[in-house]
Amino acid sequence: MRPGGQLLLEFRNVHTHYGSLHVLKGVSYEIHEGEIVSLLGGNASGKSTTMKTVLGLVRPTEGTVSFRGEPIHALRTSEIVKRGIAPVPEGRRVFPRMTILENLEMGRYTRRTEPGGDEELERVFSLFPVLRERRHQLAGTMSGGEQQMLAIGRALMTRPALLCMDEPSMGLAPRLVEEVFDIIRAINEQGTTIFVIEQNVNMALSIAHRGYVLQMGEVVLNGTAQELLENPLIQKAYLGGT
Amino acid sequence: MTVRALADRWRGLTVARRRQILAPVLLGVGILFPLVTSNAGNVDAAANAFTYVLLALGLNIVVGFAGLLDLGYAAFFAIGAYGYGIAASGQLRPEWSNLWAPLEWAGQVSRLAMPGQPATVQFHFSFWPMLAVSAIICAIFGMLFGAPTLRLRGDYLAIVTLGFGEIVPVVARNWEGLTNGAQGLGGIRTPKLFGFDFGFSPYPYYFLGLALAAVGVWISIRLQESRVGRAWMAIREDELAAGAMGVNHVHYKLLAFAMGAAVGGLGGTFYVAKLTTATPDMFTFPVSVMVLVMVVLGGLGSIRGVVLAALFVAFLQSVILQDLTQYVHVLGRVVGSPFLQRVELITSLELIFGLILVLMMIFRREGLWPAVRRVSALTREQQAAAPARGAAVKLSWAHPPVAGGSAHPLLQLERLSKQFGGLSAASDINLTVHAGELVSIIGPNGSGKTTLFNLITGLIRPDAGNIRFDGQDIAGRPSHEIVAHGVARTFQNIRLFNNLSVLENLLVGEHVRLEASVLGAIFRPPRVRAEERRAASSALEVLEIFGNRLLPRLDHPVYGLSYANRRRTEIARAIMTRPKLLLLDEPAAGMNPVETLELMDLIKALRDLGITVILIEHKLDVVMDVSDRVVVLDHGVKIAEGAPAQVRSDERVIEAYLGRRRRTA
Amino acid sequence: MSAFDVLFQQVINGLALGMMYALLALGFTMVYGIIELINFSHFSVFMTGTFVGLVVLSLLGVTPGSASLTGVPLVGILVVLFAVTMATTGLLGVLIERICLRPVRHVSGTAPMITTIGIAFILINLVLLTWGPQAQRFPQLLPNWRWTIGGAEVTFKQVVLFAVALILMIGLSHLVRRTTLGKAMRATAQDADAARMMGIDVDRVVVLTFFLGSALAGAGSLFFGLYYGFTGYYIGYTTGLRAFTSAVLGGIGSIPGAVLGGVFIGLTQSLGGQLIGVKWTDVIIFSILIFVMVCRPNGLLGAQTPRRA
Repeated sequence: MRPGGQLLLEFRNVHTHYGSLHVLKGVSYEIHEGEIVSLLGGNASGKSTTMKTVLGLVRPTEGTVSFRGEPIHALRTSEIVKRGIAPVPEGRRVFPRMTILENLEMGRYTRRTEPGGDEELERVFSLFPVLRERRHQLAGTMSGGEQQMLAIGRALMTRPALLCMDEPSMGLAPRLVEEVFDIIRAINEQGTTIFVIEQNVNMALSIAHRGYVLQMGEVVLNGTAQELLENPLIQKAYLGGT
Repeated sequence: MTVRALADRWRGLTVARRRQILAPVLLGVGILFPLVTSNAGNVDAAANAFTYVLLALGLNIVVGFAGLLDLGYAAFFAIGAYGYGIAASGQLRPEWSNLWAPLEWAGQVSRLAMPGQPATVQFHFSFWPMLAVSAIICAIFGMLFGAPTLRLRGDYLAIVTLGFGEIVPVVARNWEGLTNGAQGLGGIRTPKLFGFDFGFSPYPYYFLGLALAAVGVWISIRLQESRVGRAWMAIREDELAAGAMGVNHVHYKLLAFAMGAAVGGLGGTFYVAKLTTATPDMFTFPVSVMVLVMVVLGGLGSIRGVVLAALFVAFLQSVILQDLTQYVHVLGRVVGSPFLQRVELITSLELIFGLILVLMMIFRREGLWPAVRRVSALTREQQAAAPARGAAVKLSWAHPPVAGGSAHPLLQLERLSKQFGGLSAASDINLTVHAGELVSIIGPNGSGKTTLFNLITGLIRPDAGNIRFDGQDIAGRPSHEIVAHGVARTFQNIRLFNNLSVLENLLVGEHVRLEASVLGAIFRPPRVRAEERRAASSALEVLEIFGNRLLPRLDHPVYGLSYANRRRTEIARAIMTRPKLLLLDEPAAGMNPVETLELMDLIKALRDLGITVILIEHKLDVVMDVSDRVVVLDHGVKIAEGAPAQVRSDERVIEAYLGRRRRTA
Repeated sequence: MSAFDVLFQQVINGLALGMMYALLALGFTMVYGIIELINFSHFSVFMTGTFVGLVVLSLLGVTPGSASLTGVPLVGILVVLFAVTMATTGLLGVLIERICLRPVRHVSGTAPMITTIGIAFILINLVLLTWGPQAQRFPQLLPNWRWTIGGAEVTFKQVVLFAVALILMIGLSHLVRRTTLGKAMRATAQDADAARMMGIDVDRVVVLTFFLGSALAGAGSLFFGLYYGFTGYYIGYTTGLRAFTSAVLGGIGSIPGAVLGGVFIGLTQSLGGQLIGVKWTDVIIFSILIFVMVCRPNGLLGAQTPRRA
């Protein structure tokens, strides 16, 4: 997919607080249609707060978050999701005592009255054959990798414009991580813009077009994936050093 | 002097001084009241009100101090009542045997011989020893009813206590041999003092009630401001953190139930001695709710609040609603409404209770007269004379290691493993930390660092492996025991006792180093007073380490502190336990670079004082600077260990943080 | 009647009773599943339902003195009675949620439960002040037909009420398992934040749950009135504790568990009453409750581990 299209999601000088703790300190990101953008950073850098802010689970104390030019930071989560942003939450958060099919149905909740649900289901099943096989199985009984597939599939059910993924590699064996990232790239090639929050720098930058590096709530580096990979400061941002 | 000036004067006094003034004044009012009022009905109502005060004080211990929602409190009221009732009435008539002879000699029972029938025992136990016996029996039942609830969460605990609260009146209704069933006990003997029989006049009961209520208030205040009270409040605020500071939650929860039940039992004995009857209907669920209403209305944990609320509810019942009803009747005649002329407001008492509960919970959860924030004994001068930053860190109990001495292994982890639902949080970890070292544990998110801390401090049990501290095997022991051995910790997301002040938080840290028990707390012998003074000066000593950050905020409740100060308070609290080993979980999170440097200096200073430190941190540049040794975890496995510089350039470490490079382009 | 016959009779009685407890337990467990709240006021809503039923019936011209009905009039009145009562109690539940419980929903600790105790007291006393403390006779709508099976008797009442309860439960099951709305309810109960991320309006789901649960309580209340022939301001209390035990026994938050638990407690009540004595029933049931809570908090079918400490 050719990146560099229209501006889809924009953070402008966003600050957030957690009680008296200043978490995000004036961060700005731009995500254009068709791109894969990766948000990187160590722990306590503000990555998951970013995701929560996109989804409206955390409200910025300053700054704006816009989607297709319209501010969304004051909207409820259900409104935000309706506009075309779908989340793949950290830790998957599948509904454990519902079947795969039911989970996918929940993914389509905001478009439940519109036709086309069966097509989307087919699309997801072709991306993840294992889900088709196990479609009547309870989600809680699946392995971590399978749950990750389900979480991604669930998010795709509304054919979102923007997919927000929070730490897709967490808790997965390395081989599975590669598989997941291959799938992410495939989804992007089919037209979905993707915002990936990830701790695993190498994996993330191997599929992303651009990236931002967060450290202690501030963006310290940004650029194309290539630029970032070659930048020695990345190591410093993660490990600290002289 | 104007009212405003008087009020200012009052506020300037310390709590101790205020009490010295208030106590005799209130007692004086209490003693004069019956002499001043001409209406014996008022005295009777007031005497009954004292029962309510006792019940409210008792429940306040369980719910207010310890945070255990007891919905069946009337059970203890009942046990205290029936206990005395059975002992002082003709209900039980066991057959005479010589075992009863000593009690007969003591005047507590008589031998009743009717012609043609075997001799039986007639009970007439004296009221005064029965007060104590009642309290003890109720305390035992308190522990019995409390024991099943120990591991339950708040709402389940409440239901179980509700269940017991129901079983007691049902037993009273159905065990007719013991309690005379639904008809209840009658003919309960009234107390006698030096030959004077209390009889049916309200006056002696009034003074007795006043004395009991005063004793109840005194015990409550003493408990609240003691090691026991602080332990209760710590459990109420955060049971997990309380355990991590050495508070044995089983012991203290049972103690709370016991003390609360004992006070309720006193109320029961007093009430029934005055009423001379006891029926099961006097102890049903609405009675438990009424006591709850008193505590909620007054303020959970607020002694003056619950006393005032108890008096209010008592007078609502006996006086206020009656008077209001008269007015409503008059209004009804004026307006011409037959309904208003007939209404009896007393029947809406429970409706009022329901409204109070709902309104208080929605609008004013802390109660109408919440506990007053205690001004500590520090004068303003002492608070201001705090050393500036960079002052030398000294702790009177810490012993810097002898120079040149060999460091012995303090903490040894051997093949330590723990799985959570298939995911390995700790995999065969081996680690030795020597006395006096400063070791840092680093690793990406989810690598098992906090799990390691939780294993060492007893929050979770290992699946396999050993943990040895100072030669002792501590794996799987409860956290409060481990604290006593000398291991203390802080938490990644800060677990302070939010509604307690900075000083109170610290004093909980001192819990294991103090010894006062319940009796010590109540009576405050010199040993206990000395202990408390030492604890306070320990706290000041520790606070001084943080310069002028925390000292000016000694009495502030910690929920109002800045994030950095909350972190500092948590560290200070851990230091109060006088640890040999201090585990700090991301202590610098949320601090700016300057604050972080300050903190690292402090940690180094603690190490220099002989405290061994293990640090979990993410700011690796910071860790590199202070650590003797760095250990790296990834996915529960130790992947590197060594000097900071060496670890930092280790390929495996870099890969763990940044992720493995893709094998396919 | 032989001993077996007596037992069989009690089993029949117990099953019928059990359906009433199940209806009541269902509403309670649904609310708990969604917001982890022990809603004491649920059982007062149940009690209020019987009085609503009385009012509805009197508006329809049926009084405690009226003769029982058969055929079309009976069916018609039953439908109207159930529909109106259930709608009213459902609305009452929604009112309670919106006015009293939403403000304390996010408060940790026991404040929410204390609020529900307060609401229960308010309801009970409003009813008490309006109708007085005496028991009220409930119209004997259903004719007193009986059939014998083996050595035991089954009454028409039991059959009708059993059937109605079954229909309602099947309806609920269909709603929860097959409709999108029902699935949204289950999703919210399992992970409210993830449900939000799916675009589910959690607040609306909570309101709907309260409505359904309270409506079921209304059905259970009519069951009580029609079965026992009387009601009073105090019935929420004992019946409530039994329904509560049913919910906990079956596994709090589990819908099939509530049904299972209800039947179990119903059987316990009738068999226990027969074998040990009616006056000890409360103690037996409370003991079961305490035992389950302490030793097996998940109950028989519950998968939801009580999280909030």
